[in-house]
Amino acid sequence: MKEYTILAVISVITTVILDRTSKVGVLKKRVFYLFLAVILFFKLLVNGYLTASPIVIYDSDFFMGLRITTIPLEDFFFGFSMVATSIIFWEYFKRREA
Amino acid sequence: MLSGFLPFVLSFWPPLRFWSHWRALAYSIGITLVIYGSWDVFAAWRGHWYFNPEGVWRFRLFGLPLEEVLFFIVIPFCAIFTWEAINYLKGRVTK
Repeated sequence: MKEYTILAVISVITTVILDRTSKVGVLKKRVFYLFLAVILFFKLLVNGYLTASPIVIYDSDFFMGLRITTIPLEDFFFGFSMVATSIIFWEYFKRREA
Repeated sequence: MLSGFLPFVLSFWPPLRFWSHWRALAYSIGITLVIYGSWDVFAAWRGHWYFNPEGVWRFRLFGLPLEEVLFFIVIPFCAIFTWEAINYLKGRVTK
């Protein structure tokens, strides 16, 4: 079963729900996508290196097999969710402190 | 380590007032570490991916190389720093 694919999709959906329910709403801001583009650039360098060398090796049973350069498509979902989640919590706690 | 170095140094740049929210920073990194670290522990345990022993240090924590654990601290830190820096720069452009 494509477990990594399933988990990656669930993480994106969860992140969108988290952004809405927490009322942080960073995903609605245009600057967030500029931010994502910056992150994406460095992700391509670092994640590209890790998958090309390869330091991290993926089992083809668990992901779709689609790669952008050497990076599995699911890694982009993972990366988006993780980075967005950290920003959502950061904004949430920062506002509570203020 | 490399990806974290420059943002860490720059985070002390006074106009960002980055460290005045150190609690929010600790909470958000902590939560991200637990959620995405658990995912990684699960994925490594199930064999979704594995680490080339030649590419990482031998020390393991919950089945993950130490470098991978650090990843979940360094990356949220860099993300939050980049986010604050972009918002700060954007504010300066529009003012």
